[in-house]
Amino acid sequence: MKNRRIGIGIAACLAIAALPAAAQTWQPNAAMLALYEKAKSEKEVVIWAPAAVEVGWVPEQFAKRFPGIEVKPTADLQAATKIIAEARAGRHSVDAWSFTIGGMIEVQKRDMMLPIDWAQYGVAKENIFFNGQAAATHNFLYVSVYAKNALKPTDLPHTWDDLLQPQWKGKLTAQAFLLPRLMGFLALEWGEERTAKWGRALIDDQKMLITSTPAESLLKSGERVLAVGESVSLAYQYAADGVDSGYQIMDLVPAGQFAVAALKDAPHPNAALLLAAWLASDEAKNFYEQIVHQPDIRPGSTSKFAHEITAAKAKPVLEDIANMDQRADYYKTFSALVRGQN
Amino acid sequence: MARAMLSRRFAAIGPGGLSILAIGIVAALYLIGAPLGMLLVAAFRGPQDMLPFEPGSHWTFANLATVYFDRALYGAVIPNTLIFVAGAVTLGFSTAFALAWLVERTDLPARGMIFTLILFPLLVPGVVLAIAWIFLLGPHAGWLNILIRDLLGRDGDGPLDIFSMGGLILAQATALVPFAFLQLTAALRSMNPSLEEAGSMAGATPFVTFFRVTLPVLLPGLLAPLILAVLVTLEQFEMPLILGLPARINVFSTRIYYELNPDTDLPAYGRAAAVALPFLAAAILLLLIYNRLIRRADRFATVTGKAYRPSRFRLGRWRAPAIALVALYLAFAVVLPLLVLLWTSLFGYQPLTLSVLLSPSIDAYTRLLGSSSFWFAVRNTFLVAGISAALVTILGALLAWVVLRTDLPGRAFLDFTSFLSIGVPSVIAGLSALLLYLSLPIGIYGTVWVLVLAYSYRLAVATRLSRAALTQLHRELEEAASVAGGSWVTTIRRVLLPLLAPSLLASFLLLFIVGFREFTLPVVLQSQDNVVLSVILWTLFTSNRATDAAAVGVLIVLCIVPIILLGRHVLLGRDGRG
Repeated sequence: MKNRRIGIGIAACLAIAALPAAAQTWQPNAAMLALYEKAKSEKEVVIWAPAAVEVGWVPEQFAKRFPGIEVKPTADLQAATKIIAEARAGRHSVDAWSFTIGGMIEVQKRDMMLPIDWAQYGVAKENIFFNGQAAATHNFLYVSVYAKNALKPTDLPHTWDDLLQPQWKGKLTAQAFLLPRLMGFLALEWGEERTAKWGRALIDDQKMLITSTPAESLLKSGERVLAVGESVSLAYQYAADGVDSGYQIMDLVPAGQFAVAALKDAPHPNAALLLAAWLASDEAKNFYEQIVHQPDIRPGSTSKFAHEITAAKAKPVLEDIANMDQRADYYKTFSALVRGQN
Repeated sequence: MARAMLSRRFAAIGPGGLSILAIGIVAALYLIGAPLGMLLVAAFRGPQDMLPFEPGSHWTFANLATVYFDRALYGAVIPNTLIFVAGAVTLGFSTAFALAWLVERTDLPARGMIFTLILFPLLVPGVVLAIAWIFLLGPHAGWLNILIRDLLGRDGDGPLDIFSMGGLILAQATALVPFAFLQLTAALRSMNPSLEEAGSMAGATPFVTFFRVTLPVLLPGLLAPLILAVLVTLEQFEMPLILGLPARINVFSTRIYYELNPDTDLPAYGRAAAVALPFLAAAILLLLIYNRLIRRADRFATVTGKAYRPSRFRLGRWRAPAIALVALYLAFAVVLPLLVLLWTSLFGYQPLTLSVLLSPSIDAYTRLLGSSSFWFAVRNTFLVAGISAALVTILGALLAWVVLRTDLPGRAFLDFTSFLSIGVPSVIAGLSALLLYLSLPIGIYGTVWVLVLAYSYRLAVATRLSRAALTQLHRELEEAASVAGGSWVTTIRRVLLPLLAPSLLASFLLLFIVGFREFTLPVVLQSQDNVVLSVILWTLFTSNRATDAAAVGVLIVLCIVPIILLGRHVLLGRDGRG
């Protein structure tokens, strides 16, 4: 039983083999080492995340740093429901949880996340959320992904508004899940009315193909040549799957914010704390960037993607506690628009 | 008087038989009652940001108000749903019937192989089928569209568009065919062909015989799969989500999907349950119609105590058109998805060129087959799909027998309850099992056994199939066994079971296949120890690991095909019709 790993282990561990060795920037942290000593006897730690790619690489890398503690990852978009239902029944199977800060709200509201003194593990104050109940790990960067065999670099759009030009008619696609989220970020800069008009123009005038599946098959077949509002990590993934694709940084770079938390009633409390602290460390952030191409671009980041954004003279739009509710309201509205429900 | 008759009937069944029936009834009610109760309760619990039984939640009509005061429901969702279901069921069911008749009642060549191939779309995840259709009929780069444009010398997009209501109906109908086909072949196999032969001997043409004899006597065997096809199409969300969304076609099932996958907050279980209530209403309505149409059940008994020897129609000059029809279906529903699945697993999304063809990569297979978690999932999948399919098939047959062959008070309730299970969306059943087995201190939460129980609520298919088959078996067979001194258990074992075998096997196969590719329930109930193949496939697919996901799809097909072949072999061996 001990050696059994869940299915997602297959999913994300596959990515690791093809990667260059991550730059090891591990700084021994006395608090974390002390925690490791306490956590050793717990032997394992269970972490949930929204997708396999977010967490599948963790067991191998964590085991190298903290031998003797096995990480058991599970991918579940509805983890919040399960955490709440388990807690209500007095059962607790989850130790740590990685999710977007927006997706953590329902669990946080129920006071199920452990307040942590992140500073002792080297986490900067501006990277701490919910009064210490979660800490920033990485960002999901919204860009445009294109088929290299169909578009030359000189053809590419530079601003989100460029997509409304006639040459893009019938050539665009977007995922129904991602496009409203992208629009939510854009609305923070543009306002709701302008963003809604932009979205309608893409769908009605530019005949953008809205899908519920990844865009890679559409880019590969030539059905569409440019996917709007995809992420940097998806561009790498499509390329790994044999789709000759690249990404284009636009004038605004929306950045969804992922965070990690330890749960109050974690069955392996010390290991949960240790894993959460390590995932918020620079070393783990480096792995996020190199393995799954989801960098941390928050202020102070040394990520190469942060430099790319600066070089492109683009403006990051970061998800934060302050704008979270406003953006959530926006993308509820835009979801209905994108799905044709209004 | 009635009580005395009932007592005599129970005495004839005996204590052993009564125990079996009682256990079956209680088990069936338990398995269906939990998800059904959860659906009804959740529809009236709120607010939306709380789970139905959380402290602080309360009874409310808010879910119903939100769903049913929405003008879009009446202006778009309901009309779209009616058109989609009517179109897909009409096209899919008539195709399935034609194929089933050709395979079971004619001398079509290679029937065994065709039987297996027709079931193929059942094995392929709906996502793969939808992607295959986009490859074929995408308005810009679809292979068929390119071919037509080249032939006509046209530019631009089209002329065919899979992202349309017509395209959606075509794709869903194709996916529906094997579901209906499997049930229809069971009905056709159980039919005594002497009736058709009598028609032919009286000078009726095959056409007249078909419409005047075959169709009328098959009514129960046709109605049951037809009703199930309507309800299954109502519940399907993969095709509408992938092919309907680009065309802005929203139907009931996608509305449920959106409620359960909200942009923020917890899934809106209450609103999803409220949207699902019409499924129950549709199930009740269709069952009433069914019961009314077959109220004189004896009219449909075509297998009696008299011996019969099956024979087949000779297709003669219709042989070539029949083969063409089968080939056309197989090309669209089998060859294309299989190619897409195999190609993606070996070459990713690379285009078809000679150099690519010469360099296939089996890395995805190597990774999977070398992974202990893959084999763990294979074991779990066989266990869960096999045991739940067997359990549901047995319970469905017992319920059907109680409903048709006894005067037990409440048997109509049993019939209704078992049928209503098809109106409960998987995700509601999953949530119900999650809450139930988290609370019950029986230690199965997180194990494969929670999946076995959760999967086993789908009694509608098994009960309908058994009921349709039992309707065709005359009571005189059981009465003869009883007069000859056979106990109830012996009669069931030696008389009924052999005659019901085709339907039971069809039920088992259908449920086994559905269980093998079920992903909603195992995702909701997943833990470290109960991962199944469909969860791995879904996880890989949603992680954009198309090659590995396709490889899992191919391996799933390879796992199920031998089961179908074996089932077919057992059936053919039984009646010597190989």
